[in-house]
Amino acid sequence: MRIKVTVNNRIYERDIEENRTLLRFLREDLGLTGTKEGCGAGECGACTVFFNGKTVNSCMVLAAEADGGVVETIEGEASGGMLSVLQEAFEKHGAVQCGFCTAGMIMSARELIHQHPHPTRKEILEGLEGNFCRCTGYEQIIEAILDVTGGYEPKEELSYV
Amino acid sequence: MLVTFSYKAPQSREQLLDMIATGESDSKLLAGGTDLLVNIRNGVYRPKMVVDLKKIPGVDAITWDKKTGLKIGPAVTINEILTDANIRQHYPLLCSCARDLASFQIRNRATVVGNIVNASPCSDMAPALLCLDATVLIESKQGKREVPIAEFFTGVKRTALKPNEMVTSLHIPADKAGVRGVYRKLKRIQGHDLGIVGVAVANVGKGARIGVSSSAPTPVVTPLLPLSLSLPEVIEAVNVIIHPISDVRCSKEYRTFMVGEYTKRLWKEVIS
Repeated sequence: MRIKVTVNNRIYERDIEENRTLLRFLREDLGLTGTKEGCGAGECGACTVFFNGKTVNSCMVLAAEADGGVVETIEGEASGGMLSVLQEAFEKHGAVQCGFCTAGMIMSARELIHQHPHPTRKEILEGLEGNFCRCTGYEQIIEAILDVTGGYEPKEELSYV
Repeated sequence: MLVTFSYKAPQSREQLLDMIATGESDSKLLAGGTDLLVNIRNGVYRPKMVVDLKKIPGVDAITWDKKTGLKIGPAVTINEILTDANIRQHYPLLCSCARDLASFQIRNRATVVGNIVNASPCSDMAPALLCLDATVLIESKQGKREVPIAEFFTGVKRTALKPNEMVTSLHIPADKAGVRGVYRKLKRIQGHDLGIVGVAVANVGKGARIGVSSSAPTPVVTPLLPLSLSLPEVIEAVNVIIHPISDVRCSKEYRTFMVGEYTKRLWKEVIS
């Protein structure tokens, strides 16, 4: 079937197989490979994108459902060659290591900040519960989000003996 | 996905019921897709046709009325339950269950009706719906019928729903408004995980009811229990309704113990 989808403010019209997921559509049909496939079953959150204003696991949405809809992905995060505030904070705090979770993590963090402009640590943990990171241990990601939302308190340097 | 199917998005309930009228099990209804699409991917279901019900007007409606109670449409998501002012005020137990269901992204897509139609023993919404005596409203080309939620679940991933039928809404009676209750789910981690056991204790006024998930082939609920029962008597009443098994997550004995433990804690919190 033919679908028309707005992705990062650009309109795309494509013929798709009806069993295609939104994730595969973004990656393989549109070439937007920033969004990753981790588990493909809604556990890991690597494929998180905004669909009609809400974060979803794009591996569990059919591309056909997105006909007439609006999708935002990590490719729309930076603008004019400049990283977003959130991306800069992730870089500053070392919240990116292998980077596989980052695209989904940034999407969920954006939704979290939208819901809670000044989140507590607990709210951050709950907001990110659907996004796995196997590198950072989450601490740097939490710090980056706290930094953006004004709740970050720098830790003292470790003293060496 | 390896399974090929056609996608249909009917614009009305009549159109949808026509599409599934032959009753052959090669069509599946799509709401949130968080169970269906994973099951198709894993080859559990091999439908020839996936029928998306979300384009039908009114399917995402939550209506509340003092006299008639609460009605939840088949496309109402878990996060919509959590943000609905009437549900938060009148049916806090539903929110207690909804908060513990999966992750934020999944709650944005997963539906309450889908959670019961999937009929997993570990359904998180079922303990609340069982305690609150919800009714499932079902429709097919042949007509409408209503099934009490306790009779809706017929086995592991099995329901009273026939292939040519759809759930048009869930109804929660008005006399259950204001019921206080709490759901607690034992998980391996604090975040997104399937439950090892889940227990909901509700004070329904005339007595208490305890709904349990992940401890029998279907979610189960006790009959009305007098509020004057002692804790050992309450745990005994719960032990009668559960039939836990040992599986990858834990042993039968641990499940039985933790259902008792959670029942004890929640009874203290909610009832005494």
